[in-house]
Amino acid sequence: MIPLNWIVGLAAALFAIGAVGVLIRKNPLIMFMAAEMMWNAAALVFVAYARSFHAMSGQVMAFIIIGTAAAEVGIGLAIIVSVFHHRHRLDIDEVSQLRG
Amino acid sequence: MIAFGILAIVALIGGIGVIVARQPVHSALFLIVNIVALAIFYIILSAEFLAAAQVIVYAGAIMVLFLFVVTLLTAGKDDEEAGEELSGQRITAGVLAILAGGGLAVVGVLYPSQRIQLGLPQNFGNLRGMGDVLWGPDFVYLAAVALMLLTAAVGIMVLNRPPRKKADPEARLKERES
Repeated sequence: MIPLNWIVGLAAALFAIGAVGVLIRKNPLIMFMAAEMMWNAAALVFVAYARSFHAMSGQVMAFIIIGTAAAEVGIGLAIIVSVFHHRHRLDIDEVSQLRG
Repeated sequence: MIAFGILAIVALIGGIGVIVARQPVHSALFLIVNIVALAIFYIILSAEFLAAAQVIVYAGAIMVLFLFVVTLLTAGKDDEEAGEELSGQRITAGVLAILAGGGLAVVGVLYPSQRIQLGLPQNFGNLRGMGDVLWGPDFVYLAAVALMLLTAAVGIMVLNRPPRKKADPEARLKERES
């Protein structure tokens, strides 16, 4: 049996990699994939603790995360495509004019 | 333990590949590696239903959607990423995120954990168990996910509707001028 601590550590590392990706990349598609990785890391912690405490609630939370990720990817990609139609460049700074 | 090490290395390689790959297509392929490694973790942690859902939803639906959009938007282009507007933002952000993540990982590994209880309850994590929970005490979460997906579908249709002539401000200006 894998120690719980190592799985939590792996999930923290994956979360940090995803955060680095969101912060240093400028292509919105890659930033989005890095954000997906952060979702996945959180789901992994939920599943690990569900196994540890014998509680199915953690797996229900991971189920919610998977469903949310599906909805989020649909909306996010639609926004990226519509921004691309206006600007014709894949660069997250193109939408910096949205700031008030 | 050896299996955990191999799987963890595969997951980390997939994760690092996502953020260092230059082409978005390569990022998507690395993300699939990461997702499949996590699905195997779910099986090890006796969450069989979630492992299947992870592969079907992530590696199937979401990645196909990503690949569609990547091929639609970046086909035949090899753009360099534009320079940054805030100087030094990347290095600062990277260092801070690595410090925070490394600190979290160290705390997570070193924190004394409770012993994992042996002997799982019946139907733990398989389809029947998840169904009993989702259609029983936790039905509100299933309904919430269903509502959220419906909202997302409506939202995508609203975002992609064809532009109406009257809603276009430039056309309205031209009408006013003429």
